[in-house]
Amino acid sequence: MSEFISKQNLLTWLGQLIGERNLVAPTRVDDLLLFRKIDRVEDIVFDFDNTTLSPKEWFFPSSETLFYVDRKDGQTELMPAAIEKETAIFGIRPCDAQGMTMNDYPFLEEPADDLYRQHRDITALIGLACITACPECFCTSMGGGPHDTANVDILLTEVTDGYIVQVLTDKGKALLPDNLLATADVSSPLAPVLSEIPSEGIAEKMRQAFDEPFWDRLADRCIHCNICSYVCPTCYCFDVRDYTDKERIERVRSWESCQSPGFTRIAGGHDPRSTKGSRLRQRFSHKLLYFPNQFGALGCIGCGRCVRACPVNIDIREIIQDVQQLGVKSEA
Amino acid sequence: MDFSEEIRSKAKELLESGTVDCVIGYERATDGVGARPLFVYQPNDIDRLIFDQTCTHNLTKYLLNRKDKATAIVVKPCDSRAINLLINESQIQRDKVSIIGVVCPGVVKAGLDNTSGELQDTCRMCQQHTPVLYDFLVGELGLEPDVPDTYPDVTGMEDKSAGERRAFWEEQFSRCIRCYACRQVCPGCYCLECFVERLDPTWVGIRIAPGENEVWNTMRAFHLAGRCIDCNECERVCPVNIPLSLLNRKLGKEVEELFKFQAGIDAETPMPFSTFDKEEKLGISE
Repeated sequence: MSEFISKQNLLTWLGQLIGERNLVAPTRVDDLLLFRKIDRVEDIVFDFDNTTLSPKEWFFPSSETLFYVDRKDGQTELMPAAIEKETAIFGIRPCDAQGMTMNDYPFLEEPADDLYRQHRDITALIGLACITACPECFCTSMGGGPHDTANVDILLTEVTDGYIVQVLTDKGKALLPDNLLATADVSSPLAPVLSEIPSEGIAEKMRQAFDEPFWDRLADRCIHCNICSYVCPTCYCFDVRDYTDKERIERVRSWESCQSPGFTRIAGGHDPRSTKGSRLRQRFSHKLLYFPNQFGALGCIGCGRCVRACPVNIDIREIIQDVQQLGVKSEA
Repeated sequence: MDFSEEIRSKAKELLESGTVDCVIGYERATDGVGARPLFVYQPNDIDRLIFDQTCTHNLTKYLLNRKDKATAIVVKPCDSRAINLLINESQIQRDKVSIIGVVCPGVVKAGLDNTSGELQDTCRMCQQHTPVLYDFLVGELGLEPDVPDTYPDVTGMEDKSAGERRAFWEEQFSRCIRCYACRQVCPGCYCLECFVERLDPTWVGIRIAPGENEVWNTMRAFHLAGRCIDCNECERVCPVNIPLSLLNRKLGKEVEELFKFQAGIDAETPMPFSTFDKEEKLGISE
């Protein structure tokens, strides 16, 4: 027997959530599917593979005020940025939820990033298990799975006329009233089968491949835009700038990417990663070598967004396969 | 349409004779359907080259990374105009580039295979099926298409009120994530330091937010007035589907009406953007 919520009760519940907190869910914006704040339950899209952009912007916004400095009568005062309402994200996929857990490593390691921590604390994750997958999905090769319960507060799995409900945390328990639930004798549908990417041992192979001309050849094709970083749930680099007005200074951070020309340019003009190949290598080394070395987990969760969005088909699945082969060749 | 064999044989000839040390063309992408750019340095990679109606990328941007190196490049008619633009603006040298021009009936929409025949919107308005310059031509010379209305998208927009147009673009730009893919893919965007990255003075802030997104997108469009060769790459690569070609084509139409000029048709006509005639007051008062 499983806990079960009917489609009608789910809509009732989501409607209640809109009243008491921010509800963020996948919705159509032109022909994109984006996580947006929802005012009407009818705007929520339930039937989708995954969203165009990842939900990371709800924890690490594309631009965010860090603090204000007010100047008045010869005094200066530091003002913290405003805190938002309690939020629930509905419809997050298990891969993206895993991505948020990955971001906890750099952001919550002491000294923790205060704003990120606040976003995490006030946000509950209501996951939707994947019944289908995109052709580019490879979460099962990166430590996750289409029905993975590890990183959400509640996981819903669609069955006939409703959803199997798995309440996984206290945060989830507090969110979902028992009177909307029933028990039903339904079994969970099979998870979609995804292509396997040889990620086993990739960190060591990436280390060995550091000086390979492979990266320069790959960078021939790369146009060094920031798409991959910005659609990625686990890319977390940012730039910081002060906006100065007469009586107020605002410190803002915005997404930035290691693929930008000048990302590592320092005072005096030197750029330790001035070549296209070294910049491209950095992004994949961070995901597959540095992040695992530092935090013990791969920094890619296999959502496939970068593969879908890259204008020139820089494909991390192919890179993992190629780097594994480079290793084989150099050992031979 | 499949010109893969013709492209391979020309690439082989150019590489083996030492005329060039790299051929920039296309190969099949990892989805098994689309195409992606390919740089061929060794004759044994030549068989990877393909050319069919999935070959949408404008490869001429890559010439800017190979300014002093003898390079062969596969171009469609719209792409070929970018080579004229870059020669006209003294960015590349004609004698370093071996141009393999392809007679192009248009490329198919993203995700569709070569046989689908469903052309990209921009190709349905294209007036040029033969490259404007080439050293070698692949495909049969034929009649150019007769397109009665070359700017239906722009005139459709012009018919709207100023308020409607403003609301439309505000909504579009609000989605921009400032990934700069439009700039990075554009052959006309080659500034060593883009205005958007200038710190002193700051032209645009780093905030990814409606106001600053609007400044970014409109300033980039103005910098391309009379320079855009209408390859639609900016719009194709945009991850949030902003119709950037509509903006660029509006400015292209204005320049065409005012100066009787279209970018990249030849490499000699002085560019309206980089010349100034006293007679061109354009409504600005004395």
